[in-house]
Amino acid sequence: MAKHNVRLLTSDGGSVTFDCGEDETLVQAAARAELFVPVLCGEGQCGTCRGTCTDGTVASGAYSPAALSAEDRARGEILMCRSYPRSDLEVTVPFSQTVLSSPAVRRDAEIIANDVIAHHTRRLVLRMLPDAEDSRAAQFEPGQFMELTTPTGVTRAYSLANTPNWSGELEFLIRMQPNGAFSGWLATEALPGMVIATRGPLGGFTLHDNGLRPRWFVAGGTGLAPLLSMLRRMAEWGEPHAARLYFGVNHEDELFALDDVERLRQEMPALQVELCVWHPGAGWQGSVGTPTDALSRDLAQASSFPDLYLCGPPSLMAACEDAARRHGVPAESVMSERFQAT
Amino acid sequence: MFCYQCEQTYRSADGAGCNSTKGMCGKDAATSDLQDLLVHAVKGIAQYARHVRLAGTSDREADRFILYALFTTLTNVNFTTTRFTLMLAEAAQIRDRLKAAAGVNLSGPAAWQFAADADGLLAQAATVPVTKDKGLAGEDVVGLRTLVLYGMKGVAAYAHHARVLGYESEEVYAGIEDILDFLASDPVDADALTAQALAVGTLNLKVMELLDAANTGTFGTPVPSAVRVSPIKGKAILVSGHDLGDLQALLELTKGKGINVYTHGEMLPAHGYPKLKEYVHLAGNYGGAWQDQQKDFAEFPGPILMTSNCIIEPGPKYRNRIFTTGPVGWPGLRHLENHAFAPVVEAALALPGFKEDAPEQTITVGFGADAVLGVADTVIEAVKGGAIRHFFLIGGCDGAAPGRNYYTDFATQAPQDTVVLTLGCNKYRFNKHEFGEIGGIPRLLDIGQCNDTHSAIRIASALANAFGCGVNDLPLSLIVSWFEQKAAAVLLSLLALGIKGIRLGPTLPAFITPAVLGKLVEAFDIKPITTVDADMAAALSAA
Repeated sequence: MAKHNVRLLTSDGGSVTFDCGEDETLVQAAARAELFVPVLCGEGQCGTCRGTCTDGTVASGAYSPAALSAEDRARGEILMCRSYPRSDLEVTVPFSQTVLSSPAVRRDAEIIANDVIAHHTRRLVLRMLPDAEDSRAAQFEPGQFMELTTPTGVTRAYSLANTPNWSGELEFLIRMQPNGAFSGWLATEALPGMVIATRGPLGGFTLHDNGLRPRWFVAGGTGLAPLLSMLRRMAEWGEPHAARLYFGVNHEDELFALDDVERLRQEMPALQVELCVWHPGAGWQGSVGTPTDALSRDLAQASSFPDLYLCGPPSLMAACEDAARRHGVPAESVMSERFQAT
Repeated sequence: MFCYQCEQTYRSADGAGCNSTKGMCGKDAATSDLQDLLVHAVKGIAQYARHVRLAGTSDREADRFILYALFTTLTNVNFTTTRFTLMLAEAAQIRDRLKAAAGVNLSGPAAWQFAADADGLLAQAATVPVTKDKGLAGEDVVGLRTLVLYGMKGVAAYAHHARVLGYESEEVYAGIEDILDFLASDPVDADALTAQALAVGTLNLKVMELLDAANTGTFGTPVPSAVRVSPIKGKAILVSGHDLGDLQALLELTKGKGINVYTHGEMLPAHGYPKLKEYVHLAGNYGGAWQDQQKDFAEFPGPILMTSNCIIEPGPKYRNRIFTTGPVGWPGLRHLENHAFAPVVEAALALPGFKEDAPEQTITVGFGADAVLGVADTVIEAVKGGAIRHFFLIGGCDGAAPGRNYYTDFATQAPQDTVVLTLGCNKYRFNKHEFGEIGGIPRLLDIGQCNDTHSAIRIASALANAFGCGVNDLPLSLIVSWFEQKAAAVLLSLLALGIKGIRLGPTLPAFITPAVLGKLVEAFDIKPITTVDADMAAALSAA
């Protein structure tokens, strides 16, 4: 299917371009390019997404004449949520580039801490350097991730474990991979004060507002990071939902952040925590097995299904999603993020 | 999901109403359904509250809850299923307390029980849509029920605004309980419903008078004031919605911190109040009406505090720096209660603010009843002498629909010997235009928020007295635009006063069926807007 080039001319004299297929609307294509066109109804009814097509042709989906009259059309005006390109396009829009642009930006951050916290696991804490506006703001949705690039040019994506703040702090829980390029650099060369290039925030793995359904979080290893961010957000904002955290590792010496989890339990009396160790040593007193076992056990007994937030290696994700399906949890209540070892 | 309470409701050849997975406003089906259930629960509370009141006692907390809960169901107020679930739990507790006090078992909404879980609540909601009984009683009855209900939502919102400033009235609470109790009986008599609709209008007049007392009692009598509509250098916070009390609390908190506070949308009239003007860091107004917020808020270099109502889906550029308070809520946005606005201040200090002063541009607000009637003699002389031929009150809500440029054209094409009075946010369609003056009286007089309807009525009544005629005989045309339920309450109040010939736009409410419209036209000569030329000519020739 043909792709066309779309150029938006913004009210501040700027221009942005993106590709748009003939089977997608300008709003959809812009979103793919991380450009936010102001839009309200998305169905051609309200008129919010109007622009003026100054070059090229569009095909139009159904819309209300109250949102775009025949005279408007004759003047070249279009509703971007209903417009499919049939050629390269130039569209003048009544808003600035600031409105349009993605919140995912490139910022430099310095290393504050780089500590081994468990077997194969480090906690990396960065602090944003002041940006052009002299701000260190670390703003993101709990559950999102950043792309981090070392001075040596190695880029990896890691989920944020802390919550949004204005002082610039970014916390990551990083699994050390054998021969891993990023984790190797962390282990052998990284020092406090060194600068890491960041890009973000990125990702759509975030908390959903779904009434007072309980929220169950299932973490495999460093999959705990985004879930910790979500739980910390719930604690900070005093969210009332009943919550459970299943945190699974292979061996006990891989457990980490237990004091953070304990702090959360004190702030959120409704939070239940279960630590699962798959291959424990003799001294282990807690649950034996994978988080999937614990999840299945509890789903079987639940009187109504919870919202599930899953994060960890692909095999754990697949097993948990399968368990959720078998116990009748609807797909829209299962949010998962896969961690790939790289 | 089914909702048709706002001007922007989905319309097609098959009919009107949002009935899929998401409304035009952005609320999802679960939110809409829980709102229907909350309305049902509130009716049940009103049934018991009325019963208990007739036996001699009243329950303030229950009445306050009724106001707040209904306010959360107005258009563009609250979109969070979590909050609705919590309110439903609270509604059940309040109803139980009243029921124990009443010592009887009432039926209908009063008998509702809080379901065990989310699925249960949604199942209950499905049994109480606003279109309930359409098959039995017909569309006209359903439409009249919703006219009464939506008018009551506006009443509740205005009463809540007064309540949070400390102004309450047992007479108002009794009136609210009575009408909600009437709705709880699932009335099928069209005449009775029509009478109740006008009763809503009459009740709202009392509420607006109470709100006027609350505003002037708390902040002083508004005076004509110049307002900067371009920003100045420095850290900045933007305050939107309608709640003046929240604005004052924020102004107190930000005193001496080097932060400028700007109003947005319907907060503009704040600049006319003496007690608010005292804050030197209340720097001006920023942006347009509510429907432009995705653009205005993205470009504003500081945090936004959204009070009371009129929020739409936040763009990614500002969703981490917009805070809600009062009845407002959006999933994932930080909600602050009890004026605990420290996080807003923290954000303002961390965000850039404006880097330099913009060229100065001002408009004038604050022409409340006292200001206008203070120069009543001059106005009356001008009318008698022919210098002022006609008044247009262009009042109501703005919105995104392109057809609303009617109001821009109407105001800017109004002849030079006419005066334009504004009330509500549709003023943003033209309030930066140069209107000039007639004999020292500005041709554009902004009376205030839609909350200030009482002021407009005082002006009209005083002029009618001065000329020894009825309001309908004044050289005055009401050009009313609506969007949501506060406007519905104001419209019913104007009808309750017997005001005729109101021009209503940009479209007519979907819940007013043709038969009901016919009756309203017959009784009140309501006219839908047509073209500016035709309507202007008709308005001027009718005088």
